[in-house]
Amino acid sequence: MTSTTQITLTISLVMLVLFVIAIIGFSIGFANDNNAEINIADDPELSSFYTDAKGDLSDYKTDSEETYSSILKTTIEPGSDVAQSSGSFAITSGNVLGVTKNIVYLPYKKIFGSGSGFGIFFTTFLAILIFIVGLLIYKSLRGNP
Amino acid sequence: MIFLDYLYNLPNSTEGLDEIVTQTIDIFPFFTPMILFFVFMVVFIGGITRQKSRTGTADYPAWAVVASIATLLPALLFSVSSGFIRLDWLIIVVSLNILSAIWFFLDMKPQEV
Repeated sequence: MTSTTQITLTISLVMLVLFVIAIIGFSIGFANDNNAEINIADDPELSSFYTDAKGDLSDYKTDSEETYSSILKTTIEPGSDVAQSSGSFAITSGNVLGVTKNIVYLPYKKIFGSGSGFGIFFTTFLAILIFIVGLLIYKSLRGNP
Repeated sequence: MIFLDYLYNLPNSTEGLDEIVTQTIDIFPFFTPMILFFVFMVVFIGGITRQKSRTGTADYPAWAVVASIATLLPALLFSVSSGFIRLDWLIIVVSLNILSAIWFFLDMKPQEV
């Protein structure tokens, strides 16, 4: 995984989180502004997800600033062109991936329900997502596995 | 004079246009989801077909996002008054937006991965 791919993946995940927050925020704001009879804020799970996602994104901002600062202070030994630590991926992939998991889980739960037999699909999808991100991080550190 | 037997009671049209829709939905609750499904499919298939005819290829995830947003807008308008849409249907439309966004934002090109 090149740095360009890492940026693409990170931006994709962050844009996904921002899009979801914007859609839910717009829907709630529309309902509040027009005194709508049906308001998605009445759904406790969706409301708590909205609050959590905003909190996670706020944490991401703080963590990314700290990571940016640590990247600037990084020194690379002469002749060494391989990253020695996966610390820089902790924010860009790991942190946002947690929010992404919640985003994937929310529509699944709302459409299929929590006790549905379709759970194996959701579990498998998340496992593949985590596996791919882990493999990309390994590939960027050590080359092709 | 022949009187026709209607399958459902006809809505009372003297109480306003919205009341006709409300009474129709009351008799046939799947009416609103059918309208929303119609909006989604018209935008989704129409957009894909038109883009394919112009450029030879179509961006399926992008049209899914556009179609789901186009579906959300009438769903939100329905939510202003009671009787048009239920809360669970509105949440499913929002969920559809989220699923489309997942498809769109994670649709990276092979060379990028």
